Amino acid sequence: MADSTVTTEVAHDVHDEDHAHHPTERQYWVVFVALAALTAIEVAWSYLGLDNRAALVLPLLAMMAVKFLLVAGAFMHLYFDLKIINGRLFSWAFGFSLLLAVVVYFVVFAAFDKLPF
Amino acid sequence: MSDVAVAQVVETHDAHDDHGGHRTSLGLSNMKLAMWLFLGSECLLFGALISTFLLSKANFITEVVAGNPNVTSTMPAELIEEFQAAGSVEPFWDIPFTSASSFILLMSSLTMVLAHKAVTEDDDLQTKVWLAATALLGSTFIAGQVYEFTAFFREGLTYDGNLFGSSFYTLTGFHGAHVTGGILMLMSLLFVAFRGKLKSDRAETVELVGLYWHFVDIVWVLIFTIVYLIP
Repeated sequence: MADSTVTTEVAHDVHDEDHAHHPTERQYWVVFVALAALTAIEVAWSYLGLDNRAALVLPLLAMMAVKFLLVAGAFMHLYFDLKIINGRLFSWAFGFSLLLAVVVYFVVFAAFDKLPF
Repeated sequence: MSDVAVAQVVETHDAHDDHGGHRTSLGLSNMKLAMWLFLGSECLLFGALISTFLLSKANFITEVVAGNPNVTSTMPAELIEEFQAAGSVEPFWDIPFTSASSFILLMSSLTMVLAHKAVTEDDDLQTKVWLAATALLGSTFIAGQVYEFTAFFREGLTYDGNLFGSSFYTLTGFHGAHVTGGILMLMSLLFVAFRGKLKSDRAETVELVGLYWHFVDIVWVLIFTIVYLIP
């Protein structure tokens, strides 16, 4: 019986460890509020009518990147489940594809001589 | 309990995770790996579509301002004047409306994770409520896109009129098709839930649909900023 108890405890530890890696419901709501706030700021920023293109575009791109990371990291559990530093194959697969997509973007623009820099 | 029996029980727990997934030497289930690879390929698809749109947009404005009849012949005079006066396509967009659509899609991502959380906790009612809410919000987004497409078409931006229209409708249309696919998946899950067969042992299925749904949301985050907000 003692052995059985130990086995059950181990199983519960594994279970709890899996859940500990996922955000709580409160954290999900916090992420959502952050996303909504960032969207509102993005829209407001686009209405400022800034003449300086860099001052207009760069903050918009930065906010877009933060929203991207928030959804991928918290909602898709990428931050919790797929830590790239742990070397898990699928996180690399997705990360590599994402990198490749960005490379495709720049190659297409370079091919048409439309690079933004 | 003998050592052999304990080893067997522990092995069984290692082979299956607690949410119906199947553990492998990679660390997580093959289904999840397949979904991440699929989403990786989707990055390439949407990367190419967004690049094409941006290229056509830059050329389109240049040609419209220059008054190239090959580009402007299929457009109403008022629309051409509007583009020429602004020197961009931004006056064409209905930003408040699209912002509301974006907010709805972001909200659907929240309801999706809440559905996943509910199914892992075997909370049947919450699972059904959040799955239905996600499908409803997704449908609202699609309804908004249909309205937007109709409005743009009536204003003179057609699919085959010029490259800008083609690339815009292809990009946003592909995204809309993905959202529609996601809604069908959610409706299937809801059907299974109402039959009482969506329990925590199938939580990974909900998680996979959730991964797809959040990816669609992420793509819209990019489209909203790059297509609608950046001039």
